[in-house]
Amino acid sequence: MDLTKHLKFLVVIAIIICIILLMEKSLTGLMISVIVLFAINAIVCLGVSITNSYTNIFSLGFGGIMLVAGYTSALLTLPVTYKAAVLHLPSWLESAHWAFAPAIIVSGVVAVLASVILVLPAFRLSGHYFILASLGINLVMANLGINLSKFTHGAMGIRNIPFYTNLWWVFGFLALTVIFIWRLKRSKFGRALITIGKDNTLAATLGINVVRYKIYSFIIGSFIVGIGGALWVHYIGAMHPHVFDLLFVFMIVAMLALGGSNTISGAITGAAIITFFIQLARPIQEGFTLSGVTVPPLQGLIQVLIAIMLVLVMIYRPDGIFYREPKINWLIGRNKTKDKPR
Amino acid sequence: MWSYIAQQLINALSYGSILGLLAVGYTMIYGILGLINFAHGEIFMIGAFACYLLSAHWNLPWIVCATGAVLASTAVGVMLQRFVYKPCQKRKASVLTMFIASFAASLGLRFFFLMLYTDDRKPFPIPEIFDTMYFVGDVAIGFRDIAIFISTIVVMLLLTYFIRYTKIGIAMRAVSFDLRTAEHMGVSSEKIIVAAFVIGSLLAGLSAIEYGLSFGVVNPSMGFLPGLSGFIAAVIGGIGNVPGAMLGGYLIGVGEVLFVAALPTEYSPLRPLFVWALLLIILFLKPSGLFRPNVKFEGTWEN
Repeated sequence: MDLTKHLKFLVVIAIIICIILLMEKSLTGLMISVIVLFAINAIVCLGVSITNSYTNIFSLGFGGIMLVAGYTSALLTLPVTYKAAVLHLPSWLESAHWAFAPAIIVSGVVAVLASVILVLPAFRLSGHYFILASLGINLVMANLGINLSKFTHGAMGIRNIPFYTNLWWVFGFLALTVIFIWRLKRSKFGRALITIGKDNTLAATLGINVVRYKIYSFIIGSFIVGIGGALWVHYIGAMHPHVFDLLFVFMIVAMLALGGSNTISGAITGAAIITFFIQLARPIQEGFTLSGVTVPPLQGLIQVLIAIMLVLVMIYRPDGIFYREPKINWLIGRNKTKDKPR
Repeated sequence: MWSYIAQQLINALSYGSILGLLAVGYTMIYGILGLINFAHGEIFMIGAFACYLLSAHWNLPWIVCATGAVLASTAVGVMLQRFVYKPCQKRKASVLTMFIASFAASLGLRFFFLMLYTDDRKPFPIPEIFDTMYFVGDVAIGFRDIAIFISTIVVMLLLTYFIRYTKIGIAMRAVSFDLRTAEHMGVSSEKIIVAAFVIGSLLAGLSAIEYGLSFGVVNPSMGFLPGLSGFIAAVIGGIGNVPGAMLGGYLIGVGEVLFVAALPTEYSPLRPLFVWALLLIILFLKPSGLFRPNVKFEGTWEN
């Protein structure tokens, strides 16, 4: 039984690798960029869903945390000559020219540190006040990004960031994240987080240290989110303080809400739908001529449509598309699941 | 030096009036629905835009434009309640769901105006009478500052009377404190919710006119930062407490302007940080705000 299970896993992984290989060989640049952005968005969604839906502390501060991670990764990997010419860094940072893998891990760790420092004081708040304070994290980070021009080159932003991210990196990290969260949700630790999300008081009476577990959930979430930010930066190749602004935060919230925020499949589906929708609708937004009728360019139409869709989803199906995980017993080799997936 | 501070204070009073009027809308809606109306900043923006459009396209007299602005804000507020929040409530949606809906409504409205009018700054129509300046010593006081301050004070007094002594006002305070008990006493909470949106949006429209008078520009993303500061003012004043929200608005307005005035100019881009620092300090020291909040369970939703 165990052998077939592993075999199935191996087959699935092999198929996924084949698909990625096929995509890399056959697709054009635009489609590949859409798929990479989808994978990055999915990673961010999964990271955000740990805090926002499993532990149920709705935070909008992940934009600021991604900003920190993005800058860290950029500064560690930039060419030394560019850093010497544009930025004024301390010498150890200026001479640093790291490989991608350590830089991305370090940027995740820095994101964790930043989030703990920023979020820890905000834990005295709850509900709406916490949302507001977390929104403040975004504003404060963007503001610091503009004003600490020694490190960030101000509002002009950093260019020449090496392009490291490709399909393999993003899908590798996406697979790791999915497996990690899948295991997490079935572990004692993850069940504690979900219990806190359902009811704080109940969790406390069951002997769960609520504050400590909330901090843990922030640590895990910000690590994943930070990695997403670093991948993004190395894909786009440029960085400025407003990349992860309120609009980006809104898009992530929309993805989670549409797909269903407390399932893995929901986060990935939401990211896929919205990322592909943005790309498909872009030509409409640029304006076109259809059988003699000229439609003027309407910059912002996509955002309006997504906003309307999100309002409708919130009214008619606030749990999103996937409220429960779809059954994949054929893959994990269970006949009847006693422990219902959420 | 003193004249500089006095000059800054006069600017601060205008800004504080704008924030105070916004804060009242937040505090009423939060008190009654338990919801941050994230789209309140956009209601504010639409008011200013209506005034600009009426004046630029049809060249109407200013007073008509201003009335139109207030009406437009009110209409948008009521429509938001009718088409976004009421259906959510009907389906017993959680407060978080409603917050995401209001977040979406806010971004949707903002990008709708960005789509139609781009983010360029447009001139807000200002009648010549507002350009008159009076001088007290070195300090220049514009007629617009006086008008803004006095109109705000008058509106605040009227509102205080309304909240304190009229039947709807009393019902509003009751619903804000405890919705269920108020309903048991025969208050129709639906009417009260609509009334809260009408009054809040009306004041947002008024505040938008004041903003236009004092800054002279209109653009689609103008509502965001004043909106956030307005909500912080509402928190500082104690949620549900209308006079508290007004005082909170003045506190933030004066504090923000004096913060910028006191620091050397290279730090002036840090201005938004001040509001957040103030919010965090006040919430840590006194989470219920400086004045008595008028809600039973505030600041939290239990699942």
